[in-house]
Amino acid sequence: MSAAPKTEALNPLFDKRLINAFVDGVIKTLKTMAQTDASPGKPFIEPQFVLKGEIAGMVGMVAPPLKGTLLISYGKDSIFHVLENMLGEKHTEINGEVSDAVGELTNMIYGSAKTTLNQLGYNFEMAIPTVISGDFKITHADKGATLVIPFNLTNGSTFYVEITVQ
Amino acid sequence: MFPTDTKFLVVDDFATMRKIIKKVLNELGYTNVEEADDGKTALPMIQSAHDAGQPYGFIISDWNMPGMQGIDLLKACKADPRFKSVPFMLVTAESEQKHILEAAKAGVSDYVVKPFNSATLKGKMERVWAKHNPSAQPKAS
Repeated sequence: MSAAPKTEALNPLFDKRLINAFVDGVIKTLKTMAQTDASPGKPFIEPQFVLKGEIAGMVGMVAPPLKGTLLISYGKDSIFHVLENMLGEKHTEINGEVSDAVGELTNMIYGSAKTTLNQLGYNFEMAIPTVISGDFKITHADKGATLVIPFNLTNGSTFYVEITVQ
Repeated sequence: MFPTDTKFLVVDDFATMRKIIKKVLNELGYTNVEEADDGKTALPMIQSAHDAGQPYGFIISDWNMPGMQGIDLLKACKADPRFKSVPFMLVTAESEQKHILEAAKAGVSDYVVKPFNSATLKGKMERVWAKHNPSAQPKAS
């Protein structure tokens, strides 16, 4: 028998296992691919989208009947630090290579979290991420709240994992 | 292990992952590495390399790509007697049992789950070499 969570009765943003799956996915991805330690800060709920960086990877999360969005936002200092550790490349501006790397990082973090969540009974499907940069704004159709998890890097910078579930 | 003149094809829609895999291959001494950004681009490259008498000796492909997915590229290669025996490794964020089984059924040589490090990729390549060259296994002393 499947141990599927009763998603209709529980807002997944309050499911600690969902938060942990993303936290573990971030830590594992950055440690394995970029030998970078990321320390999670205290998660918080944000009623409206607030821009938190210059570039973000976004992926639509679908696990019927759930639908949501994963957004990982970086400032220049955080993404350039990760890329230097991962590829040995020093970047000073947001360009196509940086965007590509943000997309792949989003892909790996979501893939890692998705595997954990599906083992718990969710049924998230794989999706191809999109990268956005510049002065962007995201409006969620359902106007739902967003769970934000900050991650601190050793160079003093912070990036943010933002999860919205309908 | 595969000889250092082995010709590799790395297929991934993200240049970053192609760069990472290429970097690991270079560190292992492999410099004959070509790239494609999805299965649709890779398949004609595999065909023309074969026709030119310089076939790929190892294909490393992502699973989740637009155009043509890695699993479909694997199936296309296995369905063609010319490329059937070329070692084919999937490098992917898909680590669920159903995906691993689907890839195994389609004839994948091995499977690397992202995120991975260079030691993991090297270890998997050694396993693929042993699988495809059983007679080249070192003898137990």
